[in-house]
Amino acid sequence: MEERKMVVGLPRAMLYFRFRILWRAFFEELGVPVAVSGPTDREVLERGTDLAIDEACLSLKIYLGHVDALVGKCSHILVPRVSNFGRHRNMCTRFEALPDLTRNVFRNTGQKFLTYNVDVLEKKKEEDAFLEIGQALGYPVRTAKRAYKQAKKAELAYRKAKAREQDTLCRETGLKILIAAHSYVIEDAYVGRTVTEYLKQAGVVSLRADLADWDAALECSQELSGTCKWEMSREILGGIAMYENVVDGIILLSAFPCGPDSMVNELVTRRVKGVPLLNLVLDSQTGTAGVETRLESFIDIIRFKKGAL
Amino acid sequence: MDAVKGRNISFPRYAEYNCAFRFIIEEAIGAKYIMPPAITRRTMELGAKYSPDFVCTPFKTTLGSMIEALEAGADTLLMTHGLCRLGYYGELQEQILRDLGYKFEFVNLSEYDMSKKKEYIRIVRRLNPKAHPAKFLAGFMEGLRMVEYLDEMTAEYYKNCGFDASGGEYKRIYQDFLTAMYTAGSRGEVEAGYRTAKSALRRVPLKKPQRPLRVGLVGEFYTVMDAFSNLEVEQKLADMGVEVHRWMNVTNHFLRFSAEKNMRVKVRDLCAYEMGPTATPNIFWAREWAERGFDGLVHIKSASCTPEIDVMPVLQNIGADYKIPVLYLTYDAQTSDVGLMTRLEAFYDMIHMRKRVL
Repeated sequence: MEERKMVVGLPRAMLYFRFRILWRAFFEELGVPVAVSGPTDREVLERGTDLAIDEACLSLKIYLGHVDALVGKCSHILVPRVSNFGRHRNMCTRFEALPDLTRNVFRNTGQKFLTYNVDVLEKKKEEDAFLEIGQALGYPVRTAKRAYKQAKKAELAYRKAKAREQDTLCRETGLKILIAAHSYVIEDAYVGRTVTEYLKQAGVVSLRADLADWDAALECSQELSGTCKWEMSREILGGIAMYENVVDGIILLSAFPCGPDSMVNELVTRRVKGVPLLNLVLDSQTGTAGVETRLESFIDIIRFKKGAL
Repeated sequence: MDAVKGRNISFPRYAEYNCAFRFIIEEAIGAKYIMPPAITRRTMELGAKYSPDFVCTPFKTTLGSMIEALEAGADTLLMTHGLCRLGYYGELQEQILRDLGYKFEFVNLSEYDMSKKKEYIRIVRRLNPKAHPAKFLAGFMEGLRMVEYLDEMTAEYYKNCGFDASGGEYKRIYQDFLTAMYTAGSRGEVEAGYRTAKSALRRVPLKKPQRPLRVGLVGEFYTVMDAFSNLEVEQKLADMGVEVHRWMNVTNHFLRFSAEKNMRVKVRDLCAYEMGPTATPNIFWAREWAERGFDGLVHIKSASCTPEIDVMPVLQNIGADYKIPVLYLTYDAQTSDVGLMTRLEAFYDMIHMRKRVL
């Protein structure tokens, strides 16, 4: 009977934007219904801010707000631990701490959390991790394995399509701006969308560094930084290296106070020359006027430089 | 062993461990070590000036210390690897220093795969191509022993110095011990310095109550140990008459790492996985001290230290479960300790009153 009521909650924050295809396809293959929290709004952020330590990054505050929105509404909430995919392929330590952090914050709610652990340096591969979830939900290994394989295929196809999309955008005429940001910042309805919406409305073609072909990007990142150890930062660095010569400007978009970004973006501003750069750090401020003013003047400067103003 | 000519190596200031770095560089590797000046307000200001805004504070401190080392004559800078942002310090610091115009060679351990023993040999050979393996090993082991002595004496010092009945003898012996370590040029001098100080400390009369106030310190690896960075929080607490305990040091964290792995067993109910580079021992000791009836805990970290921020919800739960007060201290590049003093006094008054009531 329990089985029928099983619903896995996916907080629409942090790694959701990176793994949603994989997660959704996996659970669909297994026949487990999922529930995704709604887009971030003021209320989600405020709830998350109350739950988080003051100094935590904006993204974590948003994440906890999303978890809170799902608590009590699902049989399980998926909170993965993704530590690394190998040497110099780490995630921010926050993704290592996330399951335990969430459990400790919500320990009085009685909510069940579903966790998997990817830690390649400790010999825990992604596939093993997904078999772990399958097992936790009561599915035989073979079923889980098949579901993972299918899901991985869907994810790869999606990634390829996205990378192709970026390459098409490269060939467009008109002002092109590359946004270098984590997917959970740029795609967040409350944070990054202000920026993307504004650029769209200003008639700018915006590319995304994090959507460039991942394997190529990981390699290209070496050109910009030899010892960068964060997988997602390396993808973004690689995206910058791949596109810096075809775009008219780069926006480094970051959520305050992102640990990896605090250093990687500094390095980018020191090593990427010849392209106008805007370093935009978003906080939980209300109102979008400040951000819009900065974007407007950035676009003006680029147009002025090109003699188009 | 042939010493390498013209190589002046430095490593940024880090608590009192620079005496051991010096010993290893000079006695084991056979190069000259440039001792960076002790960290001062100027170091912090220099570091903060050239660092990105919201990077964690140790980045700024070590950058400032590197600049001062270059000014003192270093031509080779060594920077460590690490599990958190620390692992990326080297590359960015090198870039900042090069942009400023400094000339030096940079040996960044993040460029090596430190899980392989072969890499260590490569690094030693890079620093001194003529380094002798046997002599290196002997010098290196003695350097590690110096670290152990240092950690042992420091732990003993902060546990007892608040109860010194002789009027300053305890502190003087500890300072003499540090001087001996900073100047030791051979294995014999290290051993003699340690033994002299150890027995001298034992002779100092202590006036310790039967149940003294006991406070345990946990926190981020750099700030919890570096007295300048934490504005001498250990000395301040000790001076109020508190027995100060801190497990976190280089000996316990690196040289006896297997102990740390086994701590996971007992904290599994609080955290199922490793939450960060120092999360397990911090959580373990916070609970252990709470169970042993300590009067308070102090959590110390630099501003925006990600792994330690993530440990805080667990510490909050320990505080609630065991009814033990936890003081959370975050350090930025500040140079005044007035605010800290006020908070410590309030904390002391509170745990002191609780002890009398409970």
